[in-house]
Amino acid sequence: MSRTQRQRAWGYFGAYAFWIFMTLLTLIPIWWMLVVSMRTRVELFGRPNLMLSRIYLENYSNVLTDSTFQRYMTNSLVVSTANALLVMILALLATYALSRYKLAGRDNIFFWLITNRMAPPAAFLLPLYIMFTRTFRIGNWTLFDTQLGLILLYCVFNLPFAIWLLKGVVDGIPIELDDAAMIDGAGLWGVLRHVIIPLAAPGLAVTGILSWIFAWNEYLFAANLTSVVARTITTALAEFVTVTGTNWGELAAMSMVTLVPSAIIVIFAQRYIVMGLTFGAVKE
Amino acid sequence: MKRCFTIVLLIAFALVANMSLVSADDAWWAEAAAPYAGSTIRGVSESTPPSNYVADVLAAQFTELTGIHVEFETTSWDQMYSKAINDMEANTGIYDFVYIEQDIIYSYLAQDYLVNLTQFAADNAALAAADYDESAFTSFADYFKNADGDLFGVPMEAFVKVYLYRKDLFEDADIMAAFEAEYGYPLAPAETFEQYADNAMFFTAYGESMDMDLWGTTVQGSTGHPASTYEFLESIGPSFGLYNWGINLDAGSAQSANGGALDGETAVEALSFWLSMLPYAPPEATSSTWDEVASSFAAGRAAQGWVYGENAAWIATDESRSAVTGNVGVRLPVTAPGVIEAAQMGEGYIGYYDGGAFGIPHSSRNKEATLLWLQFIGQPSVQAEWAAVGARITHTATFDDPLIAEQDAKVDGYYTLLEEQGPLFAGAPPFPFHAQVREIIDPFIQRAILGELTPAEALSQAAMAVDEELARLGYGM
Amino acid sequence: MRNPRVGWALLSPTLVILLIFGFAPFLYVLFVGFNQWNVFSAADGLVFNGLDNFRRLVFDDDFLHSVGLTARFAIFAIGSEVVLGFVLAQMLTRDFPGRSLFRIIHTFPLMVAPIAVGAIWRLLVIPGFGPVPFFLDRWLDLTYQIGTYPDQALMTSVLMDIWHWTPFVTLTMLAGLSSIPREPVEQAKVDGANRLQVFWYVTLPFLRPVLLTTIFIRIMDAIRTVDEVWMLAGGGPGTRFTGIYIWRVVFPRTDYGYGSSISLITLYLTIVLCWLLFIAISGRRKGEVE
Repeated sequence: MSRTQRQRAWGYFGAYAFWIFMTLLTLIPIWWMLVVSMRTRVELFGRPNLMLSRIYLENYSNVLTDSTFQRYMTNSLVVSTANALLVMILALLATYALSRYKLAGRDNIFFWLITNRMAPPAAFLLPLYIMFTRTFRIGNWTLFDTQLGLILLYCVFNLPFAIWLLKGVVDGIPIELDDAAMIDGAGLWGVLRHVIIPLAAPGLAVTGILSWIFAWNEYLFAANLTSVVARTITTALAEFVTVTGTNWGELAAMSMVTLVPSAIIVIFAQRYIVMGLTFGAVKE
Repeated sequence: MKRCFTIVLLIAFALVANMSLVSADDAWWAEAAAPYAGSTIRGVSESTPPSNYVADVLAAQFTELTGIHVEFETTSWDQMYSKAINDMEANTGIYDFVYIEQDIIYSYLAQDYLVNLTQFAADNAALAAADYDESAFTSFADYFKNADGDLFGVPMEAFVKVYLYRKDLFEDADIMAAFEAEYGYPLAPAETFEQYADNAMFFTAYGESMDMDLWGTTVQGSTGHPASTYEFLESIGPSFGLYNWGINLDAGSAQSANGGALDGETAVEALSFWLSMLPYAPPEATSSTWDEVASSFAAGRAAQGWVYGENAAWIATDESRSAVTGNVGVRLPVTAPGVIEAAQMGEGYIGYYDGGAFGIPHSSRNKEATLLWLQFIGQPSVQAEWAAVGARITHTATFDDPLIAEQDAKVDGYYTLLEEQGPLFAGAPPFPFHAQVREIIDPFIQRAILGELTPAEALSQAAMAVDEELARLGYGM
Repeated sequence: MRNPRVGWALLSPTLVILLIFGFAPFLYVLFVGFNQWNVFSAADGLVFNGLDNFRRLVFDDDFLHSVGLTARFAIFAIGSEVVLGFVLAQMLTRDFPGRSLFRIIHTFPLMVAPIAVGAIWRLLVIPGFGPVPFFLDRWLDLTYQIGTYPDQALMTSVLMDIWHWTPFVTLTMLAGLSSIPREPVEQAKVDGANRLQVFWYVTLPFLRPVLLTTIFIRIMDAIRTVDEVWMLAGGGPGTRFTGIYIWRVVFPRTDYGYGSSISLITLYLTIVLCWLLFIAISGRRKGEVE
């Protein structure tokens, strides 16, 4: 008995040692980002000091008071959130269709979906640019430099990913539950609402978080397909690298600031994952 | 009534002139711009201090005067290029004016992307501002002209790569004595390559012996960026007498056997010298692009080096960014014997006259309003303050402005050097395939930096690869 | 009972968006890939040249080299991420004090934009201001310069990728683990299976679709990687991966024809690779069900 207790104690100790080690590894680059964001440009060079020597906030105030920064931030929030919601809805419908209906060429469609994410983006920028500026043009309005353009475009890499991730989750929900609900008189929407969504909630939450993060972090398309109005925050990060010196301090400060919305979203969505995990335990 | 109005206007002018804002004829601007008031013109540029000054200050002044809105997109170097080229190639007309870095102008001209500004102003006499004069620009503007001397871009920034050295080190009595004891001649800013190498060796050893983070030279040797190729082809090469990247445009070849010079003796000598400086450069040299070289020097990590002039001003004066303020010496870059003389006679050049201009793409839908805007930023009256902020000078008259004279003293005469010796420098070779061929040369220079190839091997392979690409592009033999 | 038309209706918005924004550009690239087209060449516009671009590609040392580098990068990075991510996810399913804190901390790297990840790792590893080369030199007397040693540049990008993307694997694994019903696991334990057997015969088969998706996504993204490595090392020796090589051909060289054909081949190779994986894994699953 004391042996198992000792074993358990060692197990706890080992687990915590592991976690603390991993946490340190995870946090060092972020810590360094914080340190850099609180240094002046002169202080960056020379013998590296891993500690914060003082609280210096000018980089932050420069970034936060910039009106274009506020616009970029709003654009990023709107684009990522709208894209994540759109992706979650469309992916759930598509996954349900692929999982429950006998569609001709189902496996091929399923695989084709994911190939959309495989394309190396560089060569696709030109056709997308032409499409955004010429094909989708109504009078003076074009899809170029609009939030809508990015919201739709980001589906190209987020939707396939979401469908693939959800497929495993929805496939794991016993079809008998659908049938039972249908026998109880539920229609398609009823089944989705009362069976699929609750059971797929943790998977759906993870899908949503990751789609949101992918959209929030995207750079290449945003940089090339927007100009002034719909620019996102990642494109602003690249602006700090200039011919007359990279403003590392402000770059780091802005990176830290961009972490905040993601952190809030993730912490909020974690609840659903936790709920889902415990739910799985009760599910039996 | 009318006279009264004129007097009011005159007073207003005087006030405006006193406020050192825009001294030109405000009424003229408003009148000329009347048909376009309320419209919006869009431009794209790299986010540099001169560009940001245009975006933040000049654009607002212009809008106030004319009612024309200026939407200015500042972005990174790569993005600026790809967006401008996409726009012009696809003829979408998103941008009414684009930043043209000097070295890309001939490519743009070859593709007929740009509006001939001289011609366009002549055709639209109502739009020609009295205060704007093409001949007021420095010799830098010559590198934005076609064969007929017509201008295609309004210069907005210009600089040369100079030799920077640390005065506090070069003028320290102990250091001077130590140097003389070791090398047998007095320590001084380098004028020959031998002297440059001696200085580099000496200060690297000195830094090591004093346990200081100090090295003898800078090298813009990034192995992941075209900056290294640029330093070699545009600065080191010409100072040895290797011109136009060693490419003979008439023969369509870079190989010596066909009239090129990229694999010739001069080129090999230049590359060997430059690479021999790597051990005396700070360890970040192989990751350094232009801005990082400037940052290294500003951090006091190099005793001398080749640094772009737009950085000289902040390195010498801005204490928030530089640890060597007040100690920066500026000289012409080191050259091989005979190179300066050849440049003076117009048979060569000693380095790259770098910078950029704003031009109007043919695809623009607001050419008239944009012409007004470009003339506005090309006026002599807006230059001095802009120059003080961005360390860029494009007008000969700006050199005499008190604001610049004051700065000039702090930067050890950089502006005087630019004024007097500017013509020794030249724009990039007039190739219609600038970035294409540079991309071909890049990997070979990078592999030479890594030591995977000897200078001779790297250059002979590069010359062969260039010839292949020239043939593919239709400019070859 | 289940009308396929309803299924198609549910699927259609997805298909429409992907056809417009994914497939249409693909057709364009496919077309350009069979042409000689450099914006800055002496010739005007596109010139059909059949398979010349593809012939050129087979002898393009830079391209082949980039494929080799990308393969090494992907194998090292993804291998480590999957193992590490699975271990972390498995540990996070157990209940222990501080679990949610750890989970949130371990999601942090994912939230940093790739551009910023590249920048911050550059700040960590460039001599002059980076602590990594400084302390390696001081404590272990090791020279660490990613600009000078291509292998170090490659390993740094691998480490950076592991740091950045392991949380992604952890999260997807968590989603997968959460959907495993308890019943079979308990049943197996009752039947006397040890931990390894439970893992191998119960957990893994359930996890397979999610695992497959995760590996797929990581392979694709690793092959397409541009932003992070671009910021870190600019795609110099050791980091000139295929994604970056394509970017350089398409953009500064403006060789759209050749760039498109490289993209097509890369896309093709990725599809074949993933298809084989798909067959291998889903085939085995079918075999087991039967």
